Amino acid sequence: MSIILGKDDLAKYPFLEEAGTYIRESHFDLDDFNRSEFLHIIERATKRIEFALIQGKVFIDLEKYDIELFTFLVSLIMMKYIGEDSAIKKFSLLEAIRVERFLISDLLQEKDLRKKNLIISKIFRELFQLDVELDAKNKNLFKMNISDYLQRATPFNEVEWKLINRAVDNGYVYLDGDETVRLIRYEIYTLMYNRIKNMNITKIPEQIKLHATLVKNKLTPSIKYARRISDLPPCIKKALELLNKSENLPHSARFMLATYMLSIGKSVDEVVLLFQNAPDFNEKITRYQVEHLAGKKGSHTKYTVPSCCKLVNENLCYATIDCKGITNPIQFGRKK
Amino acid sequence: MKIEINTKNKDFLVTLFKEYYFKNIGLLSPPIQMHNREFGFMTFDGRVIRHLTFSKIGSLKAYIIQNVPSDIFCSNAYYQFPTFPINEKRWRGADMIFDIDLNDLTLPCANEHTFYICSNCGVVSRDLINLCHECHSTKILKNTIPCFRCINSLKKETKNLIEFLKKDFGIQEQNLEISFSGNTGFHVVVFQNNYLLLDSKSRSDIVGYLMGKNLSPESLGVRNDKRGYRIKIPLSGYSYGWRKRIVQKMKIPEVSNDQLNKFIKKMGGYQSFKNEIDKIAYELGLKIDPQVTTDIHRIFRMVGSLNGKSGLSKIVCNDLDKFDPMNDSCFFEDDRNVDISMNIPLKFSIKGKKYTLDKSISTVPISVAVFLISKRLANIVNSSS
Repeated sequence: MSIILGKDDLAKYPFLEEAGTYIRESHFDLDDFNRSEFLHIIERATKRIEFALIQGKVFIDLEKYDIELFTFLVSLIMMKYIGEDSAIKKFSLLEAIRVERFLISDLLQEKDLRKKNLIISKIFRELFQLDVELDAKNKNLFKMNISDYLQRATPFNEVEWKLINRAVDNGYVYLDGDETVRLIRYEIYTLMYNRIKNMNITKIPEQIKLHATLVKNKLTPSIKYARRISDLPPCIKKALELLNKSENLPHSARFMLATYMLSIGKSVDEVVLLFQNAPDFNEKITRYQVEHLAGKKGSHTKYTVPSCCKLVNENLCYATIDCKGITNPIQFGRKK
Repeated sequence: MKIEINTKNKDFLVTLFKEYYFKNIGLLSPPIQMHNREFGFMTFDGRVIRHLTFSKIGSLKAYIIQNVPSDIFCSNAYYQFPTFPINEKRWRGADMIFDIDLNDLTLPCANEHTFYICSNCGVVSRDLINLCHECHSTKILKNTIPCFRCINSLKKETKNLIEFLKKDFGIQEQNLEISFSGNTGFHVVVFQNNYLLLDSKSRSDIVGYLMGKNLSPESLGVRNDKRGYRIKIPLSGYSYGWRKRIVQKMKIPEVSNDQLNKFIKKMGGYQSFKNEIDKIAYELGLKIDPQVTTDIHRIFRMVGSLNGKSGLSKIVCNDLDKFDPMNDSCFFEDDRNVDISMNIPLKFSIKGKKYTLDKSISTVPISVAVFLISKRLANIVNSSS
């Protein structure tokens, strides 16, 4: 017997193909949104957007599937009309977190294994081409192959996402339900963002425009922080110290030092001078390399400072307590 | 750092390297998808020539015999346009590569067979120097002749890597290639499809895993809090990967909340537990060169080619236990002798024979001369003895 997603599932996952099919088959016209009986849908969508954009909160309310599907559709149209990229991004992220919550709950609480597998298949495999399997022994444990995991987990900077802090065996990473779902947050976010960006609606209903305009007027410009660099990070200090002693710095340390100095605004000349104590200093070669890093030679790509994680792996990290919370030496000493 | 080589030594090595390639060209086998690889060469003058492509092994062999490079490299990456500048090559994946080198093992015997050579005047010292006492140059090259203990340690580390790759990463035997680098290390290449497309950051995470870096007590279910610590056994248990290694090493037979609690209390709390984990992770972690593995555009020494730093061949090791680098990777025929002068007195073995050479002129077989001159420890005096 085949199993299909129920209407309650579509309410939680309104971006699935089946949800689109339902709306198409209901012969609904966008102009219907100008009718008063649909006002509650527009008001619900407005609330959902305000929750995200003004309060920064996830809208967790879950209604019957038909209300949910139309609310989702109106929310996307309103966001398209609001049009501000930063707002679309914020909305997409909070919608992704909303989906995450439903998904975690389904993966943890669903007792029917066929249903659980169906959700995995519909969302992970069909939507995001990610092969997730239930563990043979523990049905609340999931596994995916290491490369799929790494492609999704490396953007997270928290140490808990490092491969070493995971259960790894025979090419697979084993994860709890919430960890598995967390890994696809970016993909759900991208799906939402692209749905809004790629929407092509010739005529947006007046009622939706009116409500979207009211939301837009409530949005405040984002706060920008002025930053200043107060000190050099210990890894850079160490590299300079070794250079001053004419010690032979490895290539990776030279790369780190040069990219860092260029990033804080030092000129090519100033950076070249830093290396004059290197035992194999050759001004011509050093200048060419620094100009290359600065994007003035070769591919014209300006190289960025390596991350703290990379420096740890290269044995170039000399972190102190002042490094707490930074992921790149360039963030050291910056104050709000 | 490439040290300058005098003309007489250079001419000698060029002749012998050419002879090697002429007789042993069959050792150079075409890499997978050869037409998508970038090739590079180092000349005996220290110049690097990159961004070349050869679609057939025959044309590569012809180039080598004609130009006689000191070193031959092939990219671990597959490109659509291998000859274009790096940002325009269109990267299509890269084999995952690992380098286990003596420099990273820091063995206690290293000082006994490590030399410091002035790249300006060629003076050799057994003591660590930053400045040449003859010409005051600061360009100092470090050179090592691995001993029996070094080779065994390298083999042990290579085996540990293979075990990690097979057990934890699910790499299949047929997708692994182990080779002696031709100098002071072993190279391991993984050809398995699901790892080919990983970017540098993902490979860096794999390196961290293998080296035992950033292992947190939290991953073992021990969290730091105001009262000291609290324990929550992870759903994925302790049967896999590093968690398994740590509990085995700590000799905790069956991990339960109570067992772990007792153990941590006995150790002195969260920080002591963390310190112990760090210690074990360092001990069990591999000593590999992180830069090699994270570089997805590297040109890597080609199997079957000679290593210009030693005159030994980079060669695949089908039986690591039996492999003897100073014998199995030395292909020069000792059908004649040559005269060399040593820069430093030296005792060493090659091709099963022991040599004790002082600073006077010695008549030695070709294999010995190539090795010592490539190592910059001797100079050719007369090549027609």
